[in-house]
Parts: sequence; structure tokens; C-alpha cells
Amino acid sequence: MFTRFEHFAATSMMGSSEEAPPREDGHLRFDRDWEKLVFGVAIALSKEGHFEWDEFRQALMHNIKSWESSHELDDTSWDYYQCWMDALEQAVVRAGILEAGEIESCLRRHLDCKGEITRNESPFVSITGNVQPSTA
Amino acid sequence: MTSLYPGFRYDADKEAISEARAKALESLLIEKGVITGKTVDQVLSYFDTEMGPFNGAKLVARAWVDPEFKKLLLEDCNAACEMLDLPNGMSGAEGEHMRIVENTADVHNVVVCTLCSCYPWPTLGLPPYWFKDPTFRARVVREPRVVLGEFGVQLSDSVNIRIWDSSAQIRWWVLPMRPEGTESLSEEELAKLLTPEAMMGVALVKAKSE
Repeated sequence: MFTRFEHFAATSMMGSSEEAPPREDGHLRFDRDWEKLVFGVAIALSKEGHFEWDEFRQALMHNIKSWESSHELDDTSWDYYQCWMDALEQAVVRAGILEAGEIESCLRRHLDCKGEITRNESPFVSITGNVQPSTA
Repeated sequence: MTSLYPGFRYDADKEAISEARAKALESLLIEKGVITGKTVDQVLSYFDTEMGPFNGAKLVARAWVDPEFKKLLLEDCNAACEMLDLPNGMSGAEGEHMRIVENTADVHNVVVCTLCSCYPWPTLGLPPYWFKDPTFRARVVREPRVVLGEFGVQLSDSVNIRIWDSSAQIRWWVLPMRPEGTESLSEEELAKLLTPEAMMGVALVKAKSE
């Protein structure tokens, strides 16, 4: 009988309430589709040996700590999976899998083809040197 | 939030950007052949189908419909696990030396871990927040009836409450009482009524899953 990497990865995070992912009824709790996606991508990358799981965890804990040191404990903008996604991008860049620049330009492409966002009444986001005003 | 995109104003449409960031990352990794969508799906399906209270629920439901199995489950939890077609890992690290105690009309069992937070993951899934809360652990030993009341479990004074302290040697969990009005339910339907809380003794099983 072997322990699955997925099991190892998830259980390694249960040691502290800060680090452990949100859960409910014995399951991981994902409130938004992208949370599930970044959760799966991080574990899949480490499972396939692209970075050590512990490296990812350290980055995650670092992000959580730095959020905590700059916010009140009851700040409702707390977002576990934002810290997770930041840690994932950092891990991917640090491991040399992707470059920060290519992530940013790919993100720009994804945002550009999101018609419903560019139709918003106010400019939704400004990208350096490429401010996108409302076209609606 | 992140130093990678200093030009972004995060509060403008944070959700849409988060979603786009996740998708951008995934599509780049797939495009470059670093991972496949299948790998990610396989990882996620493990959490959907194996890392949850499914196994504990199956064992309890079987015990409710099969007295012989119930006897075995109470006597030798690990042997009972082997009789059901449960996935790999059940007898692995966190599932070793499990023991189950039965709730009856006279006795209500609650499981805690006052030293650390030993938890039978392979049967109950991921531990709830409160299980690691030092206040919960201390209070449930000192005033179990009050703490159970806060969880919504009202027990009559005639019911004896037993607290079981889990350790690395023995991980306890609870065989809850089968609720009334479930005589016509199948084993699969019964399994759906079970929650990790019920199998820790801080909830009663309700006839209808809400």
C-alpha cells in the first residue's frame, strides 16, 4: 500500500490552521472555479517533479504571513486562494518553468478576449502602457 | 497583491482577474507541455472521490444494514475496512489502528484529541477547523453537554456521554445511531446521510440530508 502524492500534499498542510486550505464536511471547500484549478495545478506540478512541495508550502506560508502583517485579523478581504495563486506563480517562475513576462502577456490575452469585462462601464484594469477604457 | 503585475489595479475587477490569472497559467503550462489537463483532472478527482468522509460513511451504512458486519466493525475496524472495496490508503498512515465506538439510546460518544489532533482521515476526510481548536478540546472534556448543545445536539440527562481521546496509537471514531424513518432507504442512500461531525459524535444523523 502506498500513499498517494495527493494525500501527502494535502495532509502536509493540515498542521497549522493558517496554512490549511478551507474545508467543509470533510472535503476541501472551493468557492470559485479558479480556486480548484490553481489547487489542482500546484499539486500536479509538484507531483510531476517540477518543484518540491515543501518549496510551494514555504512560499504559501510566506504570502499568508505577509498578508497578515499588513492587515487586521478580521479583515474580510482575506482570501486564502489569492495567497495560493501568488505562491503558485512564484514557484513556477522560480523553478524556471515559465517567465514572469510570459505569464503577464498570456494574462493580458485572456483579459482582452473577455468581452464581458471590456464592456464594463468603467475601465476595469490598467495595464502599464495599455489602458483599456470602456468601449460600451 | 502580487509583484508580478505592478500595473494592475486589483480592486477594479478582482474576481475576473483572478479567474484570468488561473486560466492563463493553466493554458501556458499545457501549451508548453509541462502538464496536461488530464493530470490536473486526475489530481482533482482524487479529492472529489477519495479524500472525504466517503469511506467512513460506507462502513457505517453497511453496519446499519448488516448486524454481522457491525459486530466486526466494532471488534476489528481494520478487518471490516478490508471487507469493503475501499480505495488504497485506508490502512495507510493516518488510518492505522482505528477503533469505532457505538452510540446507543443510553450512551453518546464524542471523539477528541487533547494532545494533538489525531484524526482518522481515510475514513472521515479532512479534519474540520474546530477539531484543532484548543478551546474545543479542553471544553468538551470539561463540559461535554454544553459543548454538544452548542453543536445543536441536545441529549437527555439519562444519556451517558463518553469522551474518547484519540492518539497516534488509536484513532477513535463513532458509529452513530441510525435515524428513525430510514427503514426503506438503501445502503447507498443511508451513506449519504452521514457527515464527519456525526462520526465524531458532535452531530446526530438526520433522516433527510439537508
